[in-house]
Amino acid sequence: MFDFLIHGFAVALTPMNLGLAFLGALLGTLFGSLPGIGPINGIAILMPLAYTLGLPAESALILLAGIYTGSEYGGRMSSILLNVPGDAGAVMSTLDGHPLAKKGLAGPALGLSAVSSFVGATIAIIGLTLFAPLLAEVAVMFGPAEFFALMVFAFASMSVMMGKDPLKTAIGAILGILIGTVGVDSGTGVMRYTFGMAELYDGIDFVVMIIGLFAISEILLMLEQGNRRDGLDEGIPPLGRVFVSLKEILACKGAMGRSGLLGFIIGVLPGTGASVASAVAYTTEKRISDKHDTFGQGDMRGLAAPEAANNASAAGSFVPMLTLGIPGSGTTAVLLGALMLYNITPGPMMFTERPEVAGGLIASLYIGNLVLLALNLPLAGLFARVLTIPRWVLVPGIALLAFVGVYQLHSDLTAIYLMLVIGILGYLLRKLGISLAPVILGYVLGGLMEQNLRRALSISGGDIGILWQSGISVGLWIAAAALLILPWLLPKLLAGRTRHNRTG
Amino acid sequence: MRVTADRLLGIVLLGLAALVAVQALQWQIPFSYEPVGPRAFPLGLASLLSILALVLVFRPGANGHWPHRALAVKLLMVLVLLVVYATLFTRLGYIPASLLAATILARLFGTTWGKALITGVLMAIGSYFLFTSGLGISLPDGYLAGIV
Repeated sequence: MFDFLIHGFAVALTPMNLGLAFLGALLGTLFGSLPGIGPINGIAILMPLAYTLGLPAESALILLAGIYTGSEYGGRMSSILLNVPGDAGAVMSTLDGHPLAKKGLAGPALGLSAVSSFVGATIAIIGLTLFAPLLAEVAVMFGPAEFFALMVFAFASMSVMMGKDPLKTAIGAILGILIGTVGVDSGTGVMRYTFGMAELYDGIDFVVMIIGLFAISEILLMLEQGNRRDGLDEGIPPLGRVFVSLKEILACKGAMGRSGLLGFIIGVLPGTGASVASAVAYTTEKRISDKHDTFGQGDMRGLAAPEAANNASAAGSFVPMLTLGIPGSGTTAVLLGALMLYNITPGPMMFTERPEVAGGLIASLYIGNLVLLALNLPLAGLFARVLTIPRWVLVPGIALLAFVGVYQLHSDLTAIYLMLVIGILGYLLRKLGISLAPVILGYVLGGLMEQNLRRALSISGGDIGILWQSGISVGLWIAAAALLILPWLLPKLLAGRTRHNRTG
Repeated sequence: MRVTADRLLGIVLLGLAALVAVQALQWQIPFSYEPVGPRAFPLGLASLLSILALVLVFRPGANGHWPHRALAVKLLMVLVLLVVYATLFTRLGYIPASLLAATILARLFGTTWGKALITGVLMAIGSYFLFTSGLGISLPDGYLAGIV
């Protein structure tokens, strides 16, 4: 059953693909370390350029996966050195990472972060290798009705887990789905929401969507943050010795192992990404090993835990994406969209029909992870310098990359104007507290959701009962309902019980 | 009721839901044996969206931080610059348009004109050769066609 992996290593170990894994890791780390550019922005900006290289699907995916894991790594730089998290997943890394840097241990902290990321990612990639083919076998039994229920579940779990405000997350997802409905309806040929514009007949291009939503809105947001103090004024703390000692690593082995496993499991759940994983891992580790109240003051285990967990969840979110075609996070949604550009719809059949893509990707994750460790330990100092790039260099660079990325699609200007409009929309949404990850997930999944709904109902001849006929779909509906109701119900139940205790 | 950002958002979303629904009801749908046409899904989304929007109108969250006037002017300037960059992109050609856009952007993000100009020149010319020779993307030459 692991034929796909052997096949995958054969694909990933060709000189070109090895080179691409290396290039991806390097570019990803660089972009991830750029101030204000998190992993998702990094992929959004680099993806169209990867597309222009005219690579075969598996090579492009290897490059993108390298960029993905690399930027997750690179995002830690600013958390540790400047106390400015690059994205939501890196917030927990500032808690003990920055105090370590202040103590003069910035170098070892970066080293430890690289090692624990490596350990966490390795645990998750092994989990992915074992688990994905099994899940793919189950997923073959999924019909359209089950897929529809699964997507409802994914949106439910996303609304609850992602972002602070479930209501706004849900609104973001619906807006994303609505944007996805623009274009010719494949079933009937009806033009939906095209307003007579020929450019919209094929729908809003994926590249235009992500560059507008992420890169352009980022430019506008940076203008605002430019006036705020960024921590940069104090300069980067001295790195000290660059290598972390074996003793320090061994002191954290428990934290890494536990958090890696935890991160993987959380990453597998659709919609729950690195931010949930690192938060859960940090609090769990604090409960288990914070005996002397050192967490929060520069405890190495307090850095190792969230780092292992968020990288584990990054790899874990590949499980639902590769087997079910449901991305586990905003960033994997971008990767899924990239795959669709190559006419590959990830799902259970991918392991049998396109083993070179599924296997090549998993194999390249093993390789990319090693490359990253090898890059990050010696080059931490160099990557840290990237943090000092001023905004006035960074922003024109992003603008040029964004314009060229969109222009090269069809060499036409309408796409660029559309990108700017989407950018303004993205900026407004972020200002209103609606995070962009659910929007992009909705945009990517919405079309599939509608297709599956329509297919299911055409099988049953319009009887809506088919949506909850099988055990799998009933289970998914119950799980989705539980997710939506429990967070609202539990506090009330608990409050009721304590009140009862007090009176009794 | 106080006007807050969330309330405004809720009202805009209600309008959007109505637009989505009205548009969907106007489509001429050819006869088909499929039980579910192209209308049902957007209509479902529109009703879900209007419910959520109503919740937002009646129970808005915190107002967030909105840019003050000076910043809003700057934001508009960046937007206008990006639109101008887009219109000049094919007419002037990649290098002059990018030089202009990168220089003014750098200046708007708080550096001196001198440094901004150097950034613009280096970035426009450097990226042109990176994109065209390195990545094989064809970029508009504009008036510079034949010179470069």
